[in-house]
Amino acid sequence: MAAITLQPDMDFVRRLKETGGHNLKECYQCATCSVACPMAPDNKPFPRKEMVWASFGLKEKLTGDIDLWLCHNCGNCSDLCPRHAGPAELMSAARDIIYRDMLKPRLIGEWMSKPSGLVPLFLIPALIWFIVWWIRASIVGSWFPRAADGRIVFGTIFYGDYTIDPIFMITFFGAAFILAHGCRKLLDKFRPEGKLAVIGKKKNWFVCLMEVLWEETGSASKFAQCEEGPATGEPHKTRRFSHTMLVWSFCILTFVTTVVAIGHWGGKILPFILIETPMPQGFWVKILANIGAALLIIALIMLTWRRATLNRHQASNYYDWYLLGIIWAVALTGMFTQIFRLMDWIHWAFVIYYIHLVVVWMLFAYVPWSKLGHFVYRTAAMVYARMYGRS
Amino acid sequence: MAQKIGVYLDRENIGGGLNLDELAAKTKEKWGELTPVVKVVPIMAESVPEIEADIKANDLDGVLLCGASPRVDSGFYRFPQEDGRKILVDHVNLREQCVLCYENPDGSPVDPRVAPELLKIMAQDYINMGVVQLQKTTPADPAVVKGVRRILVIGGGWTGMHAAIEASKSGYEVVLIEKNDKLGGAVNNIPVASPLRSPWADKEPTHLSELIEDLDKDPNITVCLNATMKTLVGEPGEYKAIANVGGEEKSWEVGAVVVATGWVPLSEKYLAPMGLGSSPAIITAAQFAQMLVKNEVKAKRIAFVLDTTIAEKAFAAEANEPEKDILEAEASGKNAESDGENMDQPYVKEDLESIKHLAYSNVVNSVGMLRQANIICDKTGDAVQAYIIYKNMAIPGILERFYRTMQNRLGIMMTKADVTSVKDHGDRVVVSCENTLLGMDFDLDVDLVVLPCGIVPTTAKELVVNFDYRQGPDFPDLELFDGYADSNYICFPYETRRTGVYAAGCVRQPMTLDLCEEDACGAVLKAIECIESGDRGVAVAPRSGDRTHPIFNFLRCTQCKRCTVECPFGALDDDEKGTPKPNPSRCRRCGTCFGACPERVISFADYNIDQVSAMLRQPDIPKNFKEGGPRILIMACENDAYPALDMAGLRHKKWSPYCRIIPVRCLGSVNAIWISDAMNKGYDGVLLMGCKYGDDYQCHFMKGSELSHLRMENIAETLNRLRVEPERVEQLEVAIDEYDRIPELIDGFVDRITALGPNPFKGM
Repeated sequence: MAAITLQPDMDFVRRLKETGGHNLKECYQCATCSVACPMAPDNKPFPRKEMVWASFGLKEKLTGDIDLWLCHNCGNCSDLCPRHAGPAELMSAARDIIYRDMLKPRLIGEWMSKPSGLVPLFLIPALIWFIVWWIRASIVGSWFPRAADGRIVFGTIFYGDYTIDPIFMITFFGAAFILAHGCRKLLDKFRPEGKLAVIGKKKNWFVCLMEVLWEETGSASKFAQCEEGPATGEPHKTRRFSHTMLVWSFCILTFVTTVVAIGHWGGKILPFILIETPMPQGFWVKILANIGAALLIIALIMLTWRRATLNRHQASNYYDWYLLGIIWAVALTGMFTQIFRLMDWIHWAFVIYYIHLVVVWMLFAYVPWSKLGHFVYRTAAMVYARMYGRS
Repeated sequence: MAQKIGVYLDRENIGGGLNLDELAAKTKEKWGELTPVVKVVPIMAESVPEIEADIKANDLDGVLLCGASPRVDSGFYRFPQEDGRKILVDHVNLREQCVLCYENPDGSPVDPRVAPELLKIMAQDYINMGVVQLQKTTPADPAVVKGVRRILVIGGGWTGMHAAIEASKSGYEVVLIEKNDKLGGAVNNIPVASPLRSPWADKEPTHLSELIEDLDKDPNITVCLNATMKTLVGEPGEYKAIANVGGEEKSWEVGAVVVATGWVPLSEKYLAPMGLGSSPAIITAAQFAQMLVKNEVKAKRIAFVLDTTIAEKAFAAEANEPEKDILEAEASGKNAESDGENMDQPYVKEDLESIKHLAYSNVVNSVGMLRQANIICDKTGDAVQAYIIYKNMAIPGILERFYRTMQNRLGIMMTKADVTSVKDHGDRVVVSCENTLLGMDFDLDVDLVVLPCGIVPTTAKELVVNFDYRQGPDFPDLELFDGYADSNYICFPYETRRTGVYAAGCVRQPMTLDLCEEDACGAVLKAIECIESGDRGVAVAPRSGDRTHPIFNFLRCTQCKRCTVECPFGALDDDEKGTPKPNPSRCRRCGTCFGACPERVISFADYNIDQVSAMLRQPDIPKNFKEGGPRILIMACENDAYPALDMAGLRHKKWSPYCRIIPVRCLGSVNAIWISDAMNKGYDGVLLMGCKYGDDYQCHFMKGSELSHLRMENIAETLNRLRVEPERVEQLEVAIDEYDRIPELIDGFVDRITALGPNPFKGM
């Protein structure tokens, strides 16, 4: 007697199809995809088995599959699939369903999965920041006030110490907490498979984490492997450079934010490290921030161009476009805020800054349900896979 | 008998440094008045007008064309005469099997400008053989039969109805007899068919009632319900079919017969190991179809189990038993001759139904279960879960498109798996699967299990035609095909070993409805070919268009019955005394009868015992084995071995120059007298080259090379009596594509003969 009784979930199949795996039922299990994949391990390679699990609606099997996260979505499998079943799109759709379903509140996951959800997602931070604006405007006496020296200082309305910083601190740590919870849940799903897959000695998690970070963000060697995969006869747009640039621009911007935060709050105790905003254009932190922003824009242009011109066998889904879109929104509003401020268009500057705050909040707060979460989930999964010898 | 032969040598095609003028002079000198014209022409194909002029001027009655193989361009050389006089044409193969294959015995290089002595001798021998062959040929007198333009279709199912309509459209009258009280056969139980036409992607209605209406309206078609065959008498072109129609005997004269009697389902006992009968939730595909028709399917989870390994294993022992019988029978020396001994006893039909039919039906079940899963998904809007568990999903041809569409259905889930058990648990049935595509062993909980249906051809169970033939009322050797009336020819699907009777549809092979339609057309075309050939007195495939037929000299016949027993097609009946009664339109002209005849009473106009004996006597056999070399006679089957020799020559494969090749219609037509003639003449060895025999035979006449092999034993005995080593005669198998093996086969034999030394009869 076999141990497992199949529990097919047809709704799961429907959702996979809706989320991007439209052609998953076309698969006839030839395993060309598994052979083509440069990432697939020799033992139980993917994505052949994921395709049949998907068509059988085996939700538990698929969402608890660590191989989903070993995939770097190069699309070789989709290019070579004789049935155009789109294994890469299926893997991507399965990950998106995990983003959507794994964490509470489910409603956010639901909203994050479709364009119509953008309205409530936008309205939440819009309301928060509007209230802040409204309260401050009534205190300051103007919706668009100028500083004493006539400059535009956003702090007059969105006063850092009592508004932006606490709200973003709560958002940031809240999101981090939820992400950590998500990681735990994800790893728990891998567990039964992990026990089976142990090969040799279990490695130290920190060493694994360092190795993964180096491979993914330092050397981007995984993307290089993807691109060195089999010749598919289809045009392939590299992501190695643009994705790395995007990651580094995020790192720079995170660093700058941290420096400013330390300078601001630390300056209250140690006056010599005090940094006041807005910073002068020649200040090194400001220069670094602008470099980061420029890199971000360039990387965004490249990635967007790549998505817009994928070859005929590959496809992008809503999660892909949402992520690109929200980063675009952050970058553009950030850039225009500064431009309008320097041009001294006070109404535009405040309104755009307000929108900037809204989208930045969206970017951070919704990370656990968005594709951006992959930087945490994938890292966790890859560390786990490495610890148990599957990679 | 050709009395005045024109001999033409083709300068373009012979080459090899042969002095053609010298050859021509020697030929003229040897044959004198028999060959009033001996000419060397620059290009044979361009000399047709010249040859025609010679025929008129010299009153020639035979033309011998020496050059390329007879298989090349023979269509150019036909010389019809206004006065109806027949000009016999024959070819001497001096290119492929003489010049191109020539090799010096010591293997030294050959100068292409100067012909070696042995090559000259070989060319001269072949020309002489050709002259004699033509001299001993008479113009054919075709055995014309009536050619009744009416086709009998047995079976009114999908195939039979389509055959009837097809035949009627082609202008032939049709008599269709159906055993049941209504037409449609198995299609009555098929609610919706698998795809029948482009785009081949979805199930289709059968429109059975419209088809029956068409049939009834057609004035060319006579439909008889409740009718079974009583007997089929006579020969193609003028058969007399007698049927029992609702208790009343009716008869028709028909030209040919299409057997479309279909199939019966395999006994349910064979599926008991898979749980059939143990639970109402385990049913066959046929029962499921009826439930679909009645809208009775309530199950939400249905497993279609195509892997029948459990049942096959359970009945494996039984399935192998008949084979054991055959092996034992063979071991005890049972052969074609002893089969004949039993012929006078009343015929008992053996039931050939077995578990094997289940495996053979996999294709039909694969398509059928996809179709049924599709129907149930349609009815419920994909709310059901239909699992298809297969071992081999076999989808024929373009139905691949249907498979693709079905695969895309949300409700259909397929995996390859070994089904290890099907068990009823009361509220559900559990199907246990191993080695699945899902990478794990699993159980399926389902509400209903659908098992496949075995397609047992009617020919496995009963006599469907009831031939009034001396060889018995049934198709011969049905057990070789487990009862299917499958074709005996690799490349002609509708043939049976009863000329004029063509099988189509599931009686021949389990197949889907679209293929049944195609089969119906194919079988009707064969039937038409047969009627029209009979009308002209020519043979059907594989010797299509042959105008000759076996002629019996009954004065010398000893009624030994060998010819009637050995004929692969049952062409010969006999009278009470045992004198053979030829039925020329049943005959395929293989010559097996004449190979069998110890009294040599059978002959063809262009192929007879005396002719080949005379031909093989033509070459000069050197008295001194050491100086002149041995001589080997090769009798090559015209169907495969002879083309293989041609191809070997064309590809510059070379072999011993001591061989002389005579083509024969089939190794079955090789009469033992030729071998003793060859030995008397002084040949050192005789090599028979023919098709593979056995279960995977390639013989165009099924039994020819096998019979020849059996006869070799008798020949060996004879040789032993004559104190000649039996090793001097060998039979080798060669397939048409094995030209590369030819030198190895021939030279190997020549080496063995050389080692044996000269034939003791040499020079006597």
